[in-house]
Amino acid sequence: MSTQTTPGTEPSAASGSTVEPTAGGTESLPAKVLRILLTQRIALLVLLLATVLITMSQLSANNYLSAPYSTSYLAATLINAVPLVMLGLAELLVITSGRGGIDLSVGAIVSLTGMVFGFAYGEWGWSLSTAIVLAVVFGGLCGAVNGALIAYLGFPALITTLATYYGFSSLALVVNDQRPINSQPVQDLYSTASAVSLPFLPEAFPRIPLGVFTFLIPTALVVWLVLARTTYGRRLYAIGTNDVAAEWTGINVARTRFTAYVAAGAISGLVAVVTVAQFASARPDSGVSGNGMALPAITIAVLGGVAITGGIGRVAGVVLAALLIVWLNAGILLAVPGNAGSQFQLFALGVVLIFAALLNGFSNRRYGGTS
Amino acid sequence: MSTATLTPAGRPDGEPAAPAPKGRQRILPPPVTGQEMVLIVVIALLWLALSLATPAFFTSGSIVPLLVGMTPIALIGIGMTIVIITGGIDVSVGSIVMVCSVIVAQTMVGSGLPLPLAVLLAVAIGGVLGLVNGVLIAYGRVHAIIITFGTLNLFRFIGLQVFDSSTVEGIPRTLNFFGRGEAGRTLGIPHSFVIMLVLAALVWWYLRHTAGGRHFYAIGNDQQAARLAGISVRTRVLMAYVVTGLLAGLASCFVLAQGTSSLAANVGSGLELAVIAAVVIGGTSIIGGRGSVLGTVLGALLVQTVATGVTQLGWRSQLSDLFVGLFILIAVGADLIRQRTRRAS
Amino acid sequence: MTTPQPDTPSTPTRLSVSGVSKRFGAVRAIRHADMAVQPGTVHALVGENGAGKSTLIKILAGAETADTGTITFDGAPVTISSTHDAMALGIATVYQEPQLFSELTVAENVFTGRELTRGGRVDWAAQNAKVVELLDLLGLPARYATATVGGLSIAEQQQVSIAKALAGDAKVLILDEPSAILTDREVEVLFGVVRRLTAAGVSIIYISHRLDELFVIADEVTVMRDGQTIGTHPIADLSVRQIVELMVGGILDDARPDRTVPPGDPRLELRGLGLTGHFHDVDVDIRAGEIVALYGLIGSGVAEIGATVYGMARATAGTVLVDGEEVRPRSPREAKDLGIALLPADRKQQGLFSFQPISFNISAGHLPLLSKLRVWVDRRREREVARSMISRLSVKTPHERQAVSALSGGNAQKVVLARQLVDRPRVLVLAEPTQGVDVGAKEEIHRIITQLADEGTAVLIVTSDLAEAIRIADRLQVVRAGTTTAEFGPGATQVDVLAAAAGAEEQQEVTA
Repeated sequence: MSTQTTPGTEPSAASGSTVEPTAGGTESLPAKVLRILLTQRIALLVLLLATVLITMSQLSANNYLSAPYSTSYLAATLINAVPLVMLGLAELLVITSGRGGIDLSVGAIVSLTGMVFGFAYGEWGWSLSTAIVLAVVFGGLCGAVNGALIAYLGFPALITTLATYYGFSSLALVVNDQRPINSQPVQDLYSTASAVSLPFLPEAFPRIPLGVFTFLIPTALVVWLVLARTTYGRRLYAIGTNDVAAEWTGINVARTRFTAYVAAGAISGLVAVVTVAQFASARPDSGVSGNGMALPAITIAVLGGVAITGGIGRVAGVVLAALLIVWLNAGILLAVPGNAGSQFQLFALGVVLIFAALLNGFSNRRYGGTS
Repeated sequence: MSTATLTPAGRPDGEPAAPAPKGRQRILPPPVTGQEMVLIVVIALLWLALSLATPAFFTSGSIVPLLVGMTPIALIGIGMTIVIITGGIDVSVGSIVMVCSVIVAQTMVGSGLPLPLAVLLAVAIGGVLGLVNGVLIAYGRVHAIIITFGTLNLFRFIGLQVFDSSTVEGIPRTLNFFGRGEAGRTLGIPHSFVIMLVLAALVWWYLRHTAGGRHFYAIGNDQQAARLAGISVRTRVLMAYVVTGLLAGLASCFVLAQGTSSLAANVGSGLELAVIAAVVIGGTSIIGGRGSVLGTVLGALLVQTVATGVTQLGWRSQLSDLFVGLFILIAVGADLIRQRTRRAS
Repeated sequence: MTTPQPDTPSTPTRLSVSGVSKRFGAVRAIRHADMAVQPGTVHALVGENGAGKSTLIKILAGAETADTGTITFDGAPVTISSTHDAMALGIATVYQEPQLFSELTVAENVFTGRELTRGGRVDWAAQNAKVVELLDLLGLPARYATATVGGLSIAEQQQVSIAKALAGDAKVLILDEPSAILTDREVEVLFGVVRRLTAAGVSIIYISHRLDELFVIADEVTVMRDGQTIGTHPIADLSVRQIVELMVGGILDDARPDRTVPPGDPRLELRGLGLTGHFHDVDVDIRAGEIVALYGLIGSGVAEIGATVYGMARATAGTVLVDGEEVRPRSPREAKDLGIALLPADRKQQGLFSFQPISFNISAGHLPLLSKLRVWVDRRREREVARSMISRLSVKTPHERQAVSALSGGNAQKVVLARQLVDRPRVLVLAEPTQGVDVGAKEEIHRIITQLADEGTAVLIVTSDLAEAIRIADRLQVVRAGTTTAEFGPGATQVDVLAAAAGAEEQQEVTA
C-alpha cells in the first residue's frame, strides 16, 4: 500500500535539485497570463464563463437563437444548478478526503431518501421541517454506510459506492413497488421550486428560483466555511494530501474521512427534497435514471479543479463549473432546438470535462504543478 | 522476520514444496485462485438451492437464457479485466455498446447488411471508440475514470445523434446466430456463450503465459517501475482500452441478437456498472496488478444467476441489484483480508 | 580495508561523461558534469542533496536525457535516450526505492521487460533456473524465486532489485544509496557481491550518504556540488573530513558543543518496554534537558521503540512513565496530549503534506491550539506561528504560503520539525532527524535540537546514523537484537559503539 500511493507523480526535478519558486520578474506578460490560467482553475473558469455568456449574448442579439438569451432566462435555468452544485459539493468533500475518494452512490441516495421523504411528508403527514430533517438524517445514514466501509474498514471508495449504488437504488425501487409518491402535499411542494423576486432590488432584477436561496446558497456557504475556516476543513485537506502523515501528526484520519462521506450523504438527502419538490413527486428512480446524478456531479467537481487524487479542491471552483455547464446548456437549448439540444448538452459536458482534465495534466507537467 | 514464514508461491498437489535443483518447482500461482474456487462453490450452491426451490430452474428453458444473458457482461468484462489490471477503469463501455448497436441496427435496416459485415462493423466501431479512450488516457496522462466519464457523455451524444428518433424499428433477424432462439444454438449450447468462452480462454492464456500479458500486471503494480523496466506502458494501456472497445462492439451484436426487432435509446445504459461488478466479484483488484479473466466470467455468471434466481423465486426483480451490491462488498472484503494477512507475515 | 587501486593504463575507460548539463524548467539540476568510470572499479558519487547526483544517474540510466554534453561507452560516443538504450549498453540501475512489482514473483520481477520466451510463451523454467543462480550469488535461498515480492521485507526487496540489475549481464551497475535501508549484515553481503562483480570486470557507480563505507568499498570518488562535478580522486588520497569539505565547499567545524545537563528526576522513563516481534526489555531514562540517542541498525527494533512511545504501536510489555506517572498512549493524539511529540523517520511518507503551504504543514499538528473554540482556525495566529518558526529554524523560503514540495530536503525537514515545536513538548522523539538532509541543514537541525533541550525538553533520538548519535547525544544507548545493551557517555568512539552494536561483548558499563 505504501509503495503505490502515487506512482510516478513525483516531479523528477524535486529529487535532484532545489526548486526555486518561479521568479516573477523575468516572466513576460503573456507567459504570466498563460501560467495563471493554467494553474489557477478559478481564473480559467471565469474566463470560460465570460466567453460562454458573451458568445451566447452575441448569438442572441443577432437572432441566431430560438429565444432570447436574457438575464431572466439565465436566472430561470439556475433551478438546474441547484442539485448539480449541491452534489458537486458532496463529491468535493469525498474526493478531497483522498485515497481514491469518490461517491458513485449519491444519485441512489437521492432516490432512496426521496422515497423516504415522500412517505414522511406525503403519506404519514409529517410537517415539512421534520420531514426535511428526516431526509438529511437518512441521507447521512446512507453516507455513513459508505463512510464506515471506506474509512474504518479500508474498502476502496469506487467499488464500495458502486455496491451501495446498487443497494440503495434497488431499495428505492422496492420500497413502494416501483410506484412514485405524488399525494397532494407532495404536489404542493412544487411551489418551492418557483421563482421569486427579491425584496430591496429593482423590479428589473431577474426572478431567481427559490431553491437557490433555500438550498443552494446555504449549502455552498456552509461547505465553504467548513473547508476554508474550520479545523475540520484543515484535517480534511491534510488527510487528502497525505493520510499517513496525517496519522503521524495525530489527526484522526478514519473519523475525518468517515465524516466526509456522512456529509456527502446528508447533502444528497437535501437534494432529494429539492428533487421531489421540483418534480412534484417522489420518484423511485429520480437520482439514477439516465446517466444518473452521480456522473454529472463528479464531472462538475473535476471541472471545478478538484484533484481526483485528493487534497485539492475549492467551493468556488465547483460553483463556477456548475454555472458554466448550466448556462452553456441553456445556450445550447436555444441554439439547437428540440431533442438535439439535450443531446448537444451531453457533448458539451464530455468535451469540457476531457478538456479540463487534459489541461490539469498539462499544467502539472509544465509548471511542476500541484498534484 | 518475514523470511521465516516465506513459502513458495505455488504448492501444487503432487509436487514437493522443497526447492528442486533445476527449476522444476511451480513458478506461477495456481491457475485457479482461491477466490475463483470460492465463486465456483458459491455458484454451485446457488444453483443447487435454486433447483430445490423452483423445479423450473434446472431446465434448458431457464439455464440457456441465463448463459445467453451473461455473455455481454462477461465479454466486455474480459476487456475490463485487462483495463483494471493496468490500474485503470472504463466507465464508457455502456455508451460504446449503444453507439455500436444503433449504427449496426440502422445499417441492417437500411441495407440488409449480412452477418459477417455487421459483426465487422460493430467491432470496428467499438475498436475506434476504444482507441479514443486509449489515446486520451495513455497520452493525456489523466486518470482513466475522468476521461471515460467524459467519453461516456461524448459517445452517448454520438449514439443519440445517430438514433435521431427514440427507437430503431424493424431490425432484421440477421444476427439470430447469436440469439436466444433455435438458430442461436448448436446441440442446445448458445453460440454466443461458446464464442465468449473461447475468447476468455485465449485472453486468460495470453495474460498468464506471455511476456506481453505479464506486462499488464507489471504496469498495474507500479507504472513508473514498469517504464524503467523498458515496458512500453503507453502501448499496453492503449491496447487494453482498444481490446475493451472491440469486445464491447462484439457484445453489441449479442445484445441486438437477443433483443426484439426494435431498439430503444437506453440500450447499454448502466452496463458499465454491471461489468465492473462482475470483474470485482471475480477477484480482480481495483487498484490494479492482480486479476484473472476466469474470475470475471464466474463473476458475470454469479450476477446473472442471482438475477435469474430472484425472478424465478417470484421476488421483486429489483432486489437482484441489492444482492449484486452485497456480493461486491463480500468480494472486496475477502480481498482486503487476504492483503492484511499477507502483510502481517 | 585494502582495495587495490587498479592499474589501468591499457584498458579504455568504461563509461565517461563530459560536459553534461540538464535543466528542469527554471531549475538547473546539472550545470556541468564530468566523470570517468574505469572497468572493474567501484566509483563513488557523493554530494549534498540537490547537488545533482540523482539527475546524473537518471541520465545514465536513460530515465532522463541530458540537454548538452557527451557520454562515451568503451570509448565510443553513445546516445542514451531511453531505459532500453541504457540496458542494451549494459548499464543497470538499482534505485533507492525498490522498483518492483508486488503482485509478481521474484523470478518474474527479475525478467520483467526482457522475458525469456520460447514459442511466444514465457519460458518459466529457464527464468527460474537463472534466478536461482542469481539468488545463490546474493546468498539468498532458491525458494525465493517463486515468492511473491509483496510478501518480502524491504531489505529482501532491495536484494531482489540487485538480482534484477545483474540479470541483464550488466557492465555498469549503478547503486543509488543501496545501504540506506540495509542492516549491517546485509551491507556486508552487498559488499561481497560488489567485490565479486568488480573482479568479473563490472564497473559500479556507488552513491551513498554514509561516507565511512566508501573507504571500505570504493576505488575512486567523484564529488558533486551545486550541479557541478568538483573532481575525481582516488579514495586513498582522501579522508571523510576532506570529502565533506569538498561537498560543502568549506571547512567543517566539528567541535562538539559542551553541554551540561541539569540534574533532576527523569522526565521520560521506559521500563522493560516490549513489543512482540520487535523489541523487548528496553530500559531508557531521560532527564529534562537531556539528549539521549538510541543507536541501532535498521531491523534492530530501534525504529519501533520511538513509534511505541508515540502511541503508533501499543507496547505488549513494560511501562512508559512521564514525570514519574505511568502513561499508555494508544494513539498519536493521546501521546500529544501527554506532551510527547515525534518527528517521523520517513519525511516524504510520514511527515509532509507536500503541495500544501508551509503554514498548513506546521499548524496541521496543532489545530485545537491554533483555533477558536476548537472549531474555527485562528488564521492570524497560524500565520504568526509559521513566520516565527520560519525565522527561528531559518527555513529558506520567500513566505509561509510556499508549498513545501518546492523546498529542498533540509528545509522541508525543518518544517516537519517546526510542527513538533509549536507547543514546546515535554518529550520529543526524533526518528532519523537528518536522513537525506544536506550537511548545512544538518548542522542547523542539530543546533535546534540542542537549543530545545537547553529549554528543558527531554529529547530521545532514534537513529541509525552513528556519527550523528555520537555528535549530538549526551548519552548513547545501543539497541541490538531488539533490546538496549551497552550505554556510552560523551567520550565514546565510533569503533566502540559499532562493536557493541555488532555484538562484541565489551560493555562499557555506565549505568545511570
